[in-house]
Amino acid sequence: MTEGAAPAPRIRVWDVPVRVCHWLIVLFVAASWWTAEAKRMDWHRYCGYALLALATFRVYWGFFGSSTARFSEFVRGPRTIVSYLKGRWAAMPGHNPLGALSVLALLGLLLTQIVLGLFAVDVDGIESGPLSTYVSFDTGRSAAEWHDSLFDALLWLIGLHVAAVLFYLLYRKENLVGAMLHGTRSFSSGPVTSVRTASWVRFIVGVLLAALLTWMVARA
Amino acid sequence: MPAKLFRSVSALVFTASLIAAVQVASAATPAELQKARHDHYKELGDAFKAVRDASKSDSPDFAALEKAAETVNKASVDQQQWFPKGTGPEAGKTRALPEIWSKPDDFTAAQKMFADRAPKLLAAAKTKDVAAITAAFKDAGGACKNCHDTFRKPED
Repeated sequence: MTEGAAPAPRIRVWDVPVRVCHWLIVLFVAASWWTAEAKRMDWHRYCGYALLALATFRVYWGFFGSSTARFSEFVRGPRTIVSYLKGRWAAMPGHNPLGALSVLALLGLLLTQIVLGLFAVDVDGIESGPLSTYVSFDTGRSAAEWHDSLFDALLWLIGLHVAAVLFYLLYRKENLVGAMLHGTRSFSSGPVTSVRTASWVRFIVGVLLAALLTWMVARA
Repeated sequence: MPAKLFRSVSALVFTASLIAAVQVASAATPAELQKARHDHYKELGDAFKAVRDASKSDSPDFAALEKAAETVNKASVDQQQWFPKGTGPEAGKTRALPEIWSKPDDFTAAQKMFADRAPKLLAAAKTKDVAAITAAFKDAGGACKNCHDTFRKPED
């Protein structure tokens, strides 16, 4: 720091499970895209299973995880969102009120995509998701068509998410990508508290839950 | 006399036009032939799914599996009639590529691959041996892919 002012203290914002979950989702969404384009449906299914486990864990962590991961901590009403947009919102570690909507939309759409993929059947009835045995060929085809169309919507949402992060980086000079990598961020104003982490037991329960659900779905 | 002649001619014209109308109605248009083909392939996809579903089950319904394998087998022979000239992209929305008609020998060979492998799936279905069924299913699916790679337009 060349300025005379003392550097703003760095505060832990994201715990390890949130960060690992985030980047693994990035990795497997990219891999799902690639395997679908390359028609490697065996690998595409494995990517889907990985995403099912990750999304399940993330939803669980949204209820039982660290403070910044919890929906109850960051999902707020329209009034708070408006206050935030007007600049009247005390900085806090975690998602801002507008970003919360992005998290819900991304996670919701990701889950929808995963579920559609589980029931999808290809045009020849040869490749299919593990739960397609429970639906007719026509229903499986509809699921596949929605799976295909909604992926474009997911790409748009990801684009918006990345654009918002770039806006913060270039316009507001705040590096959110770094925060998602090393978990810390410095706040220049206001008293802020670090993330309250969740216990190991809760983490292990979440991993087991996600693994169990995925295993049951994959062997169906 | 003229009145009688007029009646006879009228009757003749009427009958002739009726025959013509029936003929026009029964001769399928290229669009109808396309639609029929698409329906046939949908039925084939449905049958493939039924084979796959049954073979993945813990207690396979072998009767349903054999019935579906029969549908696949029948389609593997019938499909040689599903591509009359003039039912390509020029006749309407279809993923059938013009190569089907411009490379008839290659297309026939690709169809034959399926017609050779489908009976093996049916035979495997009759043995009720899931491992054999799964292997034969994979082989038959390979024949589908082989033809689709060259003669079906990729999905957009």
